[in-house]
Amino acid sequence: MANLLQKITGGLKAEKPIKLYGHGGGPNPWKVEVILRELGLPFDRQIMDFADLKKEPFESINPNGRVPAIEDPNTGMKLWESGAIIEYLLETYDSSNSLSYTSGAEKWEQKCWLHFQMSGQGPYFGQRAWFTLYHSEKNLTSCLDRYGNEIRRVISVIDAHLKSTGREYLVGDKCTYADLSFATWHWLLTSPPNIMGEGFAKEWEENYPLAWKWNERMQARAAVKEARDERTKVISGK
Amino acid sequence: MASDSDIHLYTAQTPNGIKISILLEELGLPYQTTKLEFSKSTQKEPWFLEINPNGRIPAITDKFTDGKPIRLFESGSIMQYLVARYDKDHKFSFPPGSREFLEMNNWLFFMNAGVGPMQGQANHFTRYAPEHIEYGVNRYQNETRRLYGVLDKHLADTKAEYLVGNKCTIADISHWGWVSAAGWAGVNLDDFPHLKKWEERMWARPALKKGANVPDPYKLKELLQDKEKMDRHAAEARNWVQQGMKEDAEKNAARSK
Ligand SMILES: N[C@@H](CCC(=O)N[C@@H](CS)C(=O)NCC(=O)O)C(=O)O
Ligand SMILES: N[C@@H](CCC(=O)N[C@@H](CS)C(=O)NCC(=O)O)C(=O)O
Repeated sequence: MANLLQKITGGLKAEKPIKLYGHGGGPNPWKVEVILRELGLPFDRQIMDFADLKKEPFESINPNGRVPAIEDPNTGMKLWESGAIIEYLLETYDSSNSLSYTSGAEKWEQKCWLHFQMSGQGPYFGQRAWFTLYHSEKNLTSCLDRYGNEIRRVISVIDAHLKSTGREYLVGDKCTYADLSFATWHWLLTSPPNIMGEGFAKEWEENYPLAWKWNERMQARAAVKEARDERTKVISGK
Repeated sequence: MASDSDIHLYTAQTPNGIKISILLEELGLPYQTTKLEFSKSTQKEPWFLEINPNGRIPAITDKFTDGKPIRLFESGSIMQYLVARYDKDHKFSFPPGSREFLEMNNWLFFMNAGVGPMQGQANHFTRYAPEHIEYGVNRYQNETRRLYGVLDKHLADTKAEYLVGNKCTIADISHWGWVSAAGWAGVNLDDFPHLKKWEERMWARPALKKGANVPDPYKLKELLQDKEKMDRHAAEARNWVQQGMKEDAEKNAARSK
């Protein structure tokens, strides 16, 4: 019970490293790694083969057979779905509220954007990646266009929001987990595999300038840079 | 305290919209409803974008604890908000920080990042796409089936009546509108016996039935029995879906000029 109360107030200290199940290419596990790094939590990353995800023992950790998933020896919890993991990490460990608002309307506004990322950005960016990387030979132009337009629409929603609030971040006046949840999918747009084509960075900067600057601000953060460098290492096998 | 609230639901007769009216009915909360007309692109009008910058339903406004108005968009965060504020006895949720609370959240995100978007794509390629793309139909129907398989196995393994902690929570409510519409996406629920029983169990709940009939009568179950009606319904939806796709494409092109 004491444990439970500490968790609610976000005061728990992570003594033992949190196990993060990840993968080199997919941006979703790296999203969690960014948050772990931002919060300065100890963690062990285990890179998984996709072939091992949809069977035991991994299915007992995530019945959906996907990464990310975490096991936290400090609380005995197993979690999956990056959005749920992020909420858990914040609620359990962000004692100084460095990355979140824990009360007021901002608390809920953050969650709206996190859910928008989870259901609006991730799945659609993922579909574009699929049709670009695995099905380019089939030349499924209408599918590529469908998801390409959705990527532009998602970025335009953020651009319009930043314009109407006149702020630098999605919620309040600081960078929160809601912003950071978008950062790792953007890697696929601005560097190889450039799922929107090589000219897209320029299109983004010109057409959605506020969202572009917002992304630049996030990408300049140490935690985001470190996670990105780690990913490059994992992908290149170094 | 319900008297200090002023919930207004912006919705349409869709799987994401009815999640919220069902939860409101289950919680017994008073609320007003505004129906958005997709055929008239009401969801893209400036007044609504102030409530949901993403231009989708569902969204709600409420009087917040500080007495000021608050807006919420995305069905997932709306459900989290409603139980955090109004489900003090944890009838449809669990105490924050508890094991069951976290498990419930896993499934809520599984719905919103998995079942919803993937079944939505299956609907698109099966019912609304301007041209028939067999690859798209198969890809998304298969992924929807895979996700249903995960739900079915979970219900079988836990031998429970609901997804988490053996009571009906927002994890279940968020799934119901989609699972009950499986046939619309070309997925046969008979292939998932535990999930099918769960769907029937949910449908037997009076508050769920009431919430499913907001803002228009819930006719999907009849519709799925009648091929001709299904085709007519798809043709109507196809118009606004394709219109929306065209407008988005044009907006993008105009920016690039
Ligand atoms: N909604 C999930 C998506 C997770 C997801 O799709 N992960 C990919 C990697 S980015 C994966 O595990 N793919 C393996 C597979 O599809 O078998 C989340 O955000 O955690
Ligand atoms: N992730 C969102 C999805 C919302 C959504 O896609 N809503 C659809 C109806 S089910 C909509 O408003 N469509 C209108 C449009 O696309 O213009 C949620 O769960 O709230």
